[in-house]
This record gives sequence, C-alpha cells and structure tokens, in this order.
Amino acid sequence: MGILGASVTVHILEDDPGVSDSLQTYMKGLGHEAVVYRDAESFFGREPPAASDTIIVDLFLPGIGGAKVIGWLMGLKNPPRVIAISGQAQSVIDRQLSGVAGNFDILRKPLSPHTIAQMV
Amino acid sequence: MTGSPEAGSVSDARLASVLDTAVDAILVINERGEILVFNKACEKLFGYTPEEAIGQNVRMIMPTGYADRHEGYIDNFLRTGHRKIIGIGREVHAIHRDGTEFPVELSVGEAFTPDGRQFIGIIRDLRPRKEQERRVNELQADLVHIARVSAMDEMGAALAHELNQPLTAIMLYLQAATRTLARAQENQVVPGDSFRQVLDKAVHEAERAGNIISRMRHFVEKRDPHRRAVDLNAVVDEAVELTLLGQRLPPRIERDYGENLPSAVVDPVQIQQIVVNLLRNAFEAVRDRPGPTVTIRTARVRDMLTVTVSDNGPGLNPGVVPTLFKAFSTSKRTGMGLGLSISRTIAQNHAGDLTVEPGGNGRGASFTLHLPVTSAVSQDDDEDKVGDVAAGKAGA
Repeated sequence: MGILGASVTVHILEDDPGVSDSLQTYMKGLGHEAVVYRDAESFFGREPPAASDTIIVDLFLPGIGGAKVIGWLMGLKNPPRVIAISGQAQSVIDRQLSGVAGNFDILRKPLSPHTIAQMV
Repeated sequence: MTGSPEAGSVSDARLASVLDTAVDAILVINERGEILVFNKACEKLFGYTPEEAIGQNVRMIMPTGYADRHEGYIDNFLRTGHRKIIGIGREVHAIHRDGTEFPVELSVGEAFTPDGRQFIGIIRDLRPRKEQERRVNELQADLVHIARVSAMDEMGAALAHELNQPLTAIMLYLQAATRTLARAQENQVVPGDSFRQVLDKAVHEAERAGNIISRMRHFVEKRDPHRRAVDLNAVVDEAVELTLLGQRLPPRIERDYGENLPSAVVDPVQIQQIVVNLLRNAFEAVRDRPGPTVTIRTARVRDMLTVTVSDNGPGLNPGVVPTLFKAFSTSKRTGMGLGLSISRTIAQNHAGDLTVEPGGNGRGASFTLHLPVTSAVSQDDDEDKVGDVAAGKAGA
C-alpha cells in the first residue's frame, strides 16, 4: 500500500458515480493508482490487468455482469486480486456467484474503508 | 287525506294507522306550507308531537337557509310547474327540535284534493348511511395505505441497496478526508482545494441518501387523503423517480408529457401510488425482453386528463384480463394481487377510471388512468347546487 506497502493499480468497475468516485479518491489517498470503469465492456476494452493489480468489481453492473468479469479474471494465468462488492441481499449475491470458482473476496455495501484498504 | 270532508272515518283511521306504522317519516303540507299530517316516525325524527306540529309551517323542521327559501320553492313550482324535487327525491338537510341539523333523503309527491293542492313528503334519516359511508371510506383509506406500504415493502431490498450506495461513498470520502487531515498534521503538504472538494462530495452523497429517505417517507406515511390542485406531470414524474429508486437495471423510460395541461384536483400521493404500481408491473413485463422500454404519456382527452403507461413486453395473457382488477387475483409470484384493484378504486374515487389495452401479438400492455379535468366539486359547492336547483332556477 502507498504508505504501508507498495503502490498498486486498482481497477474499479462500478456504475454508481458516487461510489466509484469515492473509491477512486480513497484509493488515491492511500497512494494507489486508481482507474474507474462504468461497465465491464470498457474494462475489457483495455489491456488485461497485471497479476499485481487489484480489481474491485460491483456485481450488479449494467450489461455484462460482475460475476462474468470475475469468472474471466479467475481464468487468467496469473489472476489479479479481486474484490467483489455488492449492496444486494446475500441470497442475490449467492445466486449471482453460483458457478464462479476461484480465490476472491466479497464485501457488502456499505463498504468498510478500513477493510477494503487492508485487502488492496 | 286528512282534512278531506268526504273521507269517511273508517278510511281515515286506516290511513292514520298506515302512516303511523311507516318506518319513514311522512308529512303532508298544503300550498302555504302548513303541516297537515305528521306521523309517528316524524315525531321520533324531529322531536315534535303531531299536536305541536300540525298547523305549523313546515319550515320548523328545516335549517334556516332552506326554511327561508322553501316558500320561494313552492311559489316557483306553483307558478311554473317546474318540477325540481317532486317525483325525484333528493338529499337535503333537516333540523331536530333540539337544533341538531342532519342529512335526510326527501321524496315529495303531490295530491290534488278538494282543499287544494297538497304535498306529501317522505323523509328518511341519512345519518346511519352517512356513518356507514364514513366507515367504508376510512377502511378504504386504510387499505390504500396498506397497499402503498406493501408496494414499498416489495421494493425494500432494492431500496436498501439504493441507500447503500451513498453511504458507501460518504464513508470513503470521509475516510479519505481524515487521512488527508492526518497528513496535514504531520506537516505534509496537502492540497486544500481537493480536501474541500472531497467534503463537498460527501455532503452531496448524504443529500442523495436523504432524498431517497424523504421520497420513501412521503409515500408510505399514513395521512388523511387530501385533494388539491396539482401539476399532473410533476406528480407523475415524482412517481417515476420513486419507482426507479428500487430498480438497479431499469428499462428505457420514455416520458411523453403533454404540455400546458390543466391542473388536476387529486390526492397526489394516491395518484402516485397508481403510477408506481403501473410502472412496476410494466418493468416486470419487460424484464428479460430485448430493448426493454416503458413509455409514460400524459395528455388531455376532451374533459379528462390521462396518464398512460405502456410497455413493449409480451402483452397480457387473455386469460387474466377478466379478473385483472379483482383483488387477490394475481398472476405473479410475489405480492398480494391488490395493486390494480386498489389503483382502480382510487381512480374511481377521483371520478376517473383505470382501463387496460391488453396488447399481445407483438404489442405490449397499456394501462390508462383517466382523471376529470375539473375533479370532484367540494361538498359545499355541491350543497349550494342542490339549493339552487331546488330553488327552481326555472328561468335557466
């Protein structure tokens, strides 16, 4: 992390402008690079993330859903750190993520800034 | 009739017995308004004995306003023969001996007797019916409120999510601000502008959360139905925003609002309730459809204002159309099936209606709410009108 450890690039996939901007502000405050994508399509339009990057992805994205993005990231040879975020009910989250295997974290909104800082 | 010299004593007695057995108050007056017959039910209803009443002017059982005009009504009728109440019957007010004014249904017949023309009045106390109506209205208002709360309940999970967004943003912004502050205290250089910007953004997000809460509260709070003149487009738009609150992936919304619409005299929250209900149904109909679109149109059609909600879903199953507006008949997995039934009740209470074009064969369903341009005249106006008509504005 910026102060505590190495600076990383954080990719934020979140369509809510308030949430994505505050996440970006917060991550930059921690000394990280932070890039915001309004949807999965624009994320896929860029070069694939490095293994050292962190992806914060909202599960309920318009168009291609967050679960699809996670599935794709988990299939990479060197998957980056992935944090799924969602404000939906647990049952909805479970349904969305059924069949998505791999090593990633899930945080429910409202997010704890401390927790997400530690995870990145 | 009483007072007729030809009437034999036997038939007089029989008539008196009939009159006194009648449940309704029955009285007979002559052309001068003098009471000739005053039956037992009259006694109970007005508090005068027949002895006290007979021979008096009928105005003794009328509230001042009516009493002053009543002779004018009789004169008018006698002069013009214009029937405004005779053979028709209407709701008027009467007054008890103790001064209590109360609503009655009055029917008047006329009889030609050797003593001149006489009028027979049959009077029914409307208080029990009024009380019942009041109770029904009260229960209906409760039910309408329950349906609104139930709609909000069904939207609850989505709304909680909607509140999570600004709360998340606020926490992150404030945490970022705290961090900046800590660095400033360590004498590191921090950009003051961006610090302020972050706090402003946090405030903005808090306002957003507050707006969501106040929209919901406005909708679910129990309060007495209150009609006032409102801009229908604004009322509809607020309902659209409220419905969108609970929608993470809403369909495309097309708003085609009529311009310069006259204001509608309605209970805005109840009208929003209808629109929210129609929109939620429409959203459900277009879910998983290609290019989901819901169109909201407002217009004036002759003397009615209309709000039409159409979708590009599959249309309604013809099997459900006959029972569509019946309570508890739902084709959905969730909900009580009250939405459309209550929506139509609200519309009809506003002297309007709720109609449907079921669509099908490639066309989506379309629901139209109709509301009168000049809605429900207030109670006072109504009574004035009765007065005027009874006064036989025969010249008109």
